[in-house]
Amino acid sequence: MHRSYYWLITALSLPAFVWLIPTIWMVSLSFQPNEVLARTTSTTAFGLIPLPFTTENYAALFSFGQTPMWFLNSAIVALGMTLGVLAVSTTAGYALARLEFPFKRAIMVLCLVGLMVPEQAVFIPLYTMFADLGWHNSYHALILPRMAVPIGVFLMMQFFRAIPRDIEEAARIDGVGWLQIFWYIMLPLARPAMMTLAILTFLYAWNDYLWPLVSAREPERFTITLGLASIQSNFAQSEGLGRVMASGVIASLPVVILFLMFQRYVVRAMTAGGTKG
Amino acid sequence: MLRDKWRKGQGLSQPQAAAVLLFPFLAVYAAFLIYPFFMGVWISLHDWNLLAVAFNPGAKEFIGTENYVRTLWGRNIEWGLFASPVMQTVGVLGIGLAFLGYRQGRLTRATALAIGIAGALFVLLPGFYPGEDGRWYDRRFWPTVGNTILFVGLAVPGVTITALILAAALDGETRAKAILRTIFFLSQVLSVTVVTLIWQIMFSPRQGLIANVTEALGGSPIVWLTDQQFAMAAIVITTVWWSLGIAMILFLAGIQDISKDIYEAAAIDDARGIKAFWYITLPNLKRTITLVVVLQIILHFQVFGQSHLMTQGGPNDSTQVLVRYIYQTAFRDSELGKASAMAVFLFVIMGAFSLVQFVVGREED
Repeated sequence: MHRSYYWLITALSLPAFVWLIPTIWMVSLSFQPNEVLARTTSTTAFGLIPLPFTTENYAALFSFGQTPMWFLNSAIVALGMTLGVLAVSTTAGYALARLEFPFKRAIMVLCLVGLMVPEQAVFIPLYTMFADLGWHNSYHALILPRMAVPIGVFLMMQFFRAIPRDIEEAARIDGVGWLQIFWYIMLPLARPAMMTLAILTFLYAWNDYLWPLVSAREPERFTITLGLASIQSNFAQSEGLGRVMASGVIASLPVVILFLMFQRYVVRAMTAGGTKG
Repeated sequence: MLRDKWRKGQGLSQPQAAAVLLFPFLAVYAAFLIYPFFMGVWISLHDWNLLAVAFNPGAKEFIGTENYVRTLWGRNIEWGLFASPVMQTVGVLGIGLAFLGYRQGRLTRATALAIGIAGALFVLLPGFYPGEDGRWYDRRFWPTVGNTILFVGLAVPGVTITALILAAALDGETRAKAILRTIFFLSQVLSVTVVTLIWQIMFSPRQGLIANVTEALGGSPIVWLTDQQFAMAAIVITTVWWSLGIAMILFLAGIQDISKDIYEAAAIDDARGIKAFWYITLPNLKRTITLVVVLQIILHFQVFGQSHLMTQGGPNDSTQVLVRYIYQTAFRDSELGKASAMAVFLFVIMGAFSLVQFVVGREED
């Protein structure tokens, strides 16, 4: 290694630390007593070290308040959405990648056009539609609109296209039907792509804000992202800063753990989601 | 056994199998994306009050393009080349840059065309102003669009330049670099509410870390979120912190595609470090840079949470952005028709950029 390499790492460590400060600060504040925080947030090292230390905020979150319910709602919506998106995307992706049928090009173009429609262009009509159906304040109201976004179909389509055709042809000669080829041969091969799509969808579902804000109006149906937004406007008075920060930490745990465990997939998922809409 | 099971489904022809596999997606796609999209255009042509129509479905009135006129236009609107000198100068410079860049072969045709069109719009649109006795029908709409463009204009270069420098510095397979990459990427996975929660308190003049540090250094704290001069800056800082990760990762992927031979050849000529970055990395990343910029424009034009949660559009509407205005018009003022007209406006802008993204993405394949 060159000496310049160590210089580079040292020089970048400072901005990296600065980059981490807001996150460290949130975690640190969540471990300090509310009475202290009401007076000052910079007791020890500008509040970056949690002294005086307490776990009271977390205990309070789980003994009363709505955070556990919001967390559960988020988990249900995120998992439901992930399964739903995987189901419709793998099937449609395979059909578009490998099967020949009438109007194939037209359907592809139609799906491509859908990539250009942003969520904000459809959230008002979706609101009136779901209101007419009486679907608001439900899990499926939060899940269904995302299942209609064609990103997943394109991700899966690209993946299936890259698989050599020999495998299918061998199975066809053996007399295996198309649906069986899809289910028994292609899906197992598609596991890495499905993992990428699953993570992309889960992150989106967990962090989505605008649609839940419009659709879920009853606090019992809030996701954690929405619930956190509802308590942050009056954090200082009612809840106490430490407790709000603890909610923030709890709300971030699943995505941060997901990120640290599957970093490669997360990066790939966000890149794919980013470049393709 | 397994073979018997497989044989059963053999009867389906390719089109039949395709129909079975495509049906679930096409059904949700038609119901929750295609239909709502056209329904949105339909709503925008009506005087449609959210509450009135909820009670009585007949309480809407077809008014044609009236919502668009009420949003976009005004009384006695005139056009002049010097109505908004700053924006229009930027536009003229953009057109010049696109023309020169294309002539000298520094920009591809699609990029030049995109910059040129954006420049022309910058000359054309800010040139409109209410003449004598005139006024905009909606005084808040164009300033809101202006704020959104300002936000995009600050956040996109901020993210792009920082991400590019970090990506160039952190390219490589060492453990230290991997850890640093993780640190810079981490904030990207947080939700907008967590990010705004952290930064709202970071910026707080009484409890904020920034204020505490400034005070310890002997300065007087800035009232970031309620000062008209700093509110937009605060939101941009928050956004750069939050969304640097994707851009950095895209740049890293682009840098890894550049052949190592070029760098080795350059190293013989003593071009390393910053020189190599300037003469090799940057020119070879042109396409990636364009893609990242367009992507960021699309992404940040939809900004909502930062403004809604940190400043509530204030102070004095200085951080009011388009999506927040649509949200308020629809769900606070109950004017679904007008809100839908604005949503269609947003779609047209975003659609144009998506088209550019699509063309640039395919250009070199």
